[in-house]
Amino acid sequence: MHMTLASIELTLTLLQQTCVYLVIAYLLTRTRIFIPLMHVTIRLPHRATCYIVFSLFCILGTYLGLKIDDSIANTRAIGAVLGGVLGGPSVGLAVGFTGGLHRYSLGGPSALACMVSTVAEGLIGGLFHYYMMRRGRFDTLFNPLPVALVTFCAEVAQMLVLLLLVQPPAAARHLVEQLAVPMLVANSLGAALFMRILLDRRELYERQSSVFSTKALGIAARVEGLLRSGFNVDTSTLVARIVYEETGVGAVAITDTQNLLAFIGIGSAHHLPGTPIHSALTLKAIESNEVVYADGNEVAYRCSIDPKCPLAASLIIPLVGEEGRVIGTIKLYEPRTRLFSTINRALGEGIARLLSNQILAGRYMRQRELLAQSEIKLLHAQVNPHFLFNALNTLSAVIRRDPERACNLVLNLSTFFRNNLKRPSEEACLGEEIAHVSAYLEIEQARFLGQLVVELDIPDDLRLVRMPAFSLQPIVENAIKHGTSQLLGVGHIRISASSANDMMLLSVEDNAGLYVEPATSSGLGMHLVRRRIAARHGSAFGLDIACEPEVFTRVMLKLPLTPCEAATALEGFHA
Amino acid sequence: MNVLIIDDESPAREEIARLLGKESDIRILGQCSNAIEGIAAINRLNPEVIFLDIQMPRVSGLEMLSMLDPEKMPRVVFLTAFNEYALQAFDQNAFDYLLKPIDPARLDITLKRLRRDRTPTPALFDAAAPLKQVPCPGHQRVLLIKVEDIEYATSKTGGVYVTVSNGSEHFTELTLRTLEEKTPFLRCHRQYLVNPDQIKELSFLEAGTVEIVTRNNHHVPVSRRLLGELKEKLGLL
Repeated sequence: MHMTLASIELTLTLLQQTCVYLVIAYLLTRTRIFIPLMHVTIRLPHRATCYIVFSLFCILGTYLGLKIDDSIANTRAIGAVLGGVLGGPSVGLAVGFTGGLHRYSLGGPSALACMVSTVAEGLIGGLFHYYMMRRGRFDTLFNPLPVALVTFCAEVAQMLVLLLLVQPPAAARHLVEQLAVPMLVANSLGAALFMRILLDRRELYERQSSVFSTKALGIAARVEGLLRSGFNVDTSTLVARIVYEETGVGAVAITDTQNLLAFIGIGSAHHLPGTPIHSALTLKAIESNEVVYADGNEVAYRCSIDPKCPLAASLIIPLVGEEGRVIGTIKLYEPRTRLFSTINRALGEGIARLLSNQILAGRYMRQRELLAQSEIKLLHAQVNPHFLFNALNTLSAVIRRDPERACNLVLNLSTFFRNNLKRPSEEACLGEEIAHVSAYLEIEQARFLGQLVVELDIPDDLRLVRMPAFSLQPIVENAIKHGTSQLLGVGHIRISASSANDMMLLSVEDNAGLYVEPATSSGLGMHLVRRRIAARHGSAFGLDIACEPEVFTRVMLKLPLTPCEAATALEGFHA
Repeated sequence: MNVLIIDDESPAREEIARLLGKESDIRILGQCSNAIEGIAAINRLNPEVIFLDIQMPRVSGLEMLSMLDPEKMPRVVFLTAFNEYALQAFDQNAFDYLLKPIDPARLDITLKRLRRDRTPTPALFDAAAPLKQVPCPGHQRVLLIKVEDIEYATSKTGGVYVTVSNGSEHFTELTLRTLEEKTPFLRCHRQYLVNPDQIKELSFLEAGTVEIVTRNNHHVPVSRRLLGELKEKLGLL
């Protein structure tokens, strides 16, 4: 009876000690050194960490023990077992040996037995690790209940070791009677709680990162492509609203280097988009290309527009464009009543990088578009000077002989040049293209007077088919320049359109058959036309060339059968 | 002053003809619509001046110059719609050129120069590029035979003929003198030029005469007078 009471008393005292031990453990789990211990790991540096941490806990368990007679009731087993459970047999052995050696150095009749048993406990933890790993059940290693059971077994083993090694046997029995219950209870419970603490830390950590990634992914998905169409008030407002909704901060602002482009959230009544940047902090961020964080405590933040503004903290991140130049900022705000969460601070920088990349991609795309546009312009401007002056020369001859026909020629010239000067609106319908080409051909026919015969075969229902503007003219010009104009006899040009399998086939054929692979001059126009069609509609469409020398050259444009919109079609009739 | 107009665009011909028609001292001998017709007309009509378009089918105005007989080289006035960089290759004193549409005042200057000096300009022929192809008018169309495909050329009563590898013979407006000057062909006989790349052997006959056998076994006579010179040029001495 007396034994039991003493045993309960000792158990409670040892549990108190265990609490101190666990508080230390809890505090340590908040530090970075515990991060590797939250996963089962086989990497050497992580194992080393595991060894050092649990060896310290092993020694701590000894120091926090209670001296009973010449022996110590302790919680050393927790460190040894957990070291083995998380680090494997080798770490378990090493921790056990370290803790055991330390215990041995303190001396006493049970010193040797304690050392041996600590090594055994580390090994038991390690074997549990090994067994579970083999079965692929990593989660069990972090489950407090099995860990408690393993520790319990390890303690039973320790008791057996004490019975075997402590001399005389009577002393051993006495010692075990005293220690068994308190140590079994305290160690098993302690190991389970230690594991629980680790587990909680891990869950918290994972929850934080999952919140972070959910937010980041949400923003990334929603702003995708928005800024590509340009960095302006409209797109910035859309982006600012998304960032505002996803992060839940007090307010979001986007500026370029001079003006406020968008402001969403608290204080939007006096932060007006389109007004110049007021805040000195923003200007500093733009100038230095550095993140500026005014938390309202260490770095004062005061709204520069309205002193009554409830916003009290501000994070300003520069948006970076070509060659690392700052092109604007994104600003996140929190009001006086709320804390700036670290997640949002980290997110802010990520968002800024995302937006910067988008703006860059947009600029790049627009530049490419411009380039394509200017290539078309070049094609337009490529009006052969020979053509122009020869046409004028023809006109000066025709004026005298046939004023009526000369008037007609002037009209054709006007139509041709008007179409050439027109901004490449990129889209035209076949009717417009035929009108353009007809004007050109009429002039050429006047030049070559009877030496050029033109035949057009365009079904009315295909005249409304859409095509990239200025696709037909270069082909026809080639057919004359490198085809019929090289004939000593009469030249024939035939332009015809047909449809088959959702495709319009537009063919330009001459009777010269002088086509050669464009190593030389004819290359640019034809090449551009092919590239434009293929780029727009895919490689099934484009341009085919067939040539039988001295007989014919036929260039076939393959276009999708998509009708023009009404407005363009009307324009086509006017042209 | 006898002139010939060569231009492939009929309104353009009409226009220059109209302008020239105002001048009492100018007689238009004819109009041609391409270079091949032009060569024939020059050979036939011996104009003092040609008004020559540069951009023409198959054989350009510039190319045509190398096909003319250097002895019959007329004065040349080029007609061009746009600055022709190729003209820079020629001696600026050897020719004149007019931009289309033609400014009558500018034409006046040209005509004044011509009245002052209408001596032929062989310099222009010398400066012209070597001949790459020989135009041979056929029934329906004009053949342009590559110089390297010709085995030999001969002058007959009907005119000059070139013989190609397959043995077929084609009439050409070009004279032997033109071919001799503007191609690598060698004179082996008063009436024959041979393409040295096509010679297979020199065959010495019993009568003391010599013949060239071409790669395709055509026989080309060699005159005694020219034998030495030929051997020298072929590197046989």
